[in-house]
Amino acid sequence: MIQIKQLTKTYGAKRALDGLDLTLGTGVTGLLGPNGAGKTTLLRCLATTLAPNGGSVDAFGLDPADRVQRTALRRRLGYLPQNPGSYPHFTAFDLVDYVAILKELTDRKHRHAEVRRVLAEVDLTDQAGTKVRKLSGGMRQRLALAQALLGEPDLLILDEPTVGLDPEQRMTFRALVSRLGESRIVVLSTHQTEDVAALCERVVVMRDGRAIFDGTPGELAAVADGRVWLSDAPPATSELFWRTADGRYRTLGARPPAADTVAPGVEDGYLMLLGEAA
Amino acid sequence: MSSWHIPDGLRERYLEGTLEPALAMSVDAHLGRCADCRAAVPHDKDWLEASWARLEAELITPHLSLSERLLRHGGVPDHLARLLSATPTMSRAWLASVVAVLAFAVLAARKQAEFLPAFLIVAPVLPLAGIALAYGPRVDPAYELVAATPMSGPRLLLTRATAVLAVAVVLAGLASPLLPAPPGLAAAWLLPALAAAAGCLAVSGRLPVPIAALAVAGVWLAIVGTGHFIGDWLAVFGPAPQIGYGVAAILLTYRFYRVSTR
Repeated sequence: MIQIKQLTKTYGAKRALDGLDLTLGTGVTGLLGPNGAGKTTLLRCLATTLAPNGGSVDAFGLDPADRVQRTALRRRLGYLPQNPGSYPHFTAFDLVDYVAILKELTDRKHRHAEVRRVLAEVDLTDQAGTKVRKLSGGMRQRLALAQALLGEPDLLILDEPTVGLDPEQRMTFRALVSRLGESRIVVLSTHQTEDVAALCERVVVMRDGRAIFDGTPGELAAVADGRVWLSDAPPATSELFWRTADGRYRTLGARPPAADTVAPGVEDGYLMLLGEAA
Repeated sequence: MSSWHIPDGLRERYLEGTLEPALAMSVDAHLGRCADCRAAVPHDKDWLEASWARLEAELITPHLSLSERLLRHGGVPDHLARLLSATPTMSRAWLASVVAVLAFAVLAARKQAEFLPAFLIVAPVLPLAGIALAYGPRVDPAYELVAATPMSGPRLLLTRATAVLAVAVVLAGLASPLLPAPPGLAAAWLLPALAAAAGCLAVSGRLPVPIAALAVAGVWLAIVGTGHFIGDWLAVFGPAPQIGYGVAAILLTYRFYRVSTR
């Protein structure tokens, strides 16, 4: 269990986190929000790579503000940063092996077995000997995910994990994360509402450093209940609308003339919520 | 697909391992194609998995850089060798140390008298360059990955700083006998070097490591400047200052330890 209380982080005059309260339990929680909403800042605070200015984080009874407890927490977390970086001269195996050493897996035989296990988890066994600089963007993203899985962490923090993955890889990723979420806390940020709908039991929508919604994907979709329409002509008002693949107009908000009501999706609820909060 | 299957007698000899190599390879090839014959070959699942794991361990292994190989040949444990040789900046720091010491050696051989002051002034801050490049967001391309691991922070900095210091001290120590000075004076850089390194580590909790290294280098230059100002630059390497450097090294190391474990 992770309890976040009144978490605040400022960068100069900008409040990236503004007194955020949140509780995270076992399962997959998705963070949605526009750029600058505070998602990455929150994940970095959870991953102990960034110290907040105020408030507290209690993760498994450990306080990251205390150095000893922070180290203990780092033994229990896996982190996929938004920009993981790498050493281009390393092979895929080397990079994960290096992070395994930093995670205190010093016994070579055990460590190498663990490295092979996580590479297999992300389907990179065949690329183990390939230099990182020669891997495609999707492969690098899977490699970064592999290092986060080392040691089967209790807390998995994934910042934009599906960036660069093709549709097939995204499906595989969803299956993997869903399985991981059965027994541990997984928190991920994404811009992809379909990822949230497909794999998150819970979604938190952030804006300006605060949580403006906390519920299930179904509840987020329900925010737009009765406010999603399909019509043959574009609405005359300045409602949010777009042209669909079949040539009709999908509108969020007030009903355009001669429009049919449509069951809302997660994206509809998210857009409606952001529109209301603006 | 062939209707031919491995006769019982041949299979038994294959399983016993008494077949001629060429015949055994033919049977291997057939087993690869024929599910019926494979099913007739008894196998131990655990043995197969263990064999595959051994094979995989042989095939999928880390690639070792030159510096990592050198460290391992030198008796450094494999995980430590990897920690020390991972970041390109660390290798460059070591390379810079080697080049600097070689430069000192060449200069010492050519311009002996003029060289001593330069060596004594520069040698103590030489390890600082390496320490500055040992750890931090500006020098480590995978810093964000590293920062969330239990080894990150002071532990990793201390490990790498110690390695840099050890290499720099050994190399500068090897250059010292080339100097046209009594052994005591030729080694006068050692305690200032230790104090400077400890100072850099002690300040690193409050400042980024490169800034801390610059600050400590500035303090050292101020000390040397004081010696020049009073008209005897060697005074800052005298017995009393040496005691001061030693005490400072101990206190600053203790300070770093306290900050690291707080």
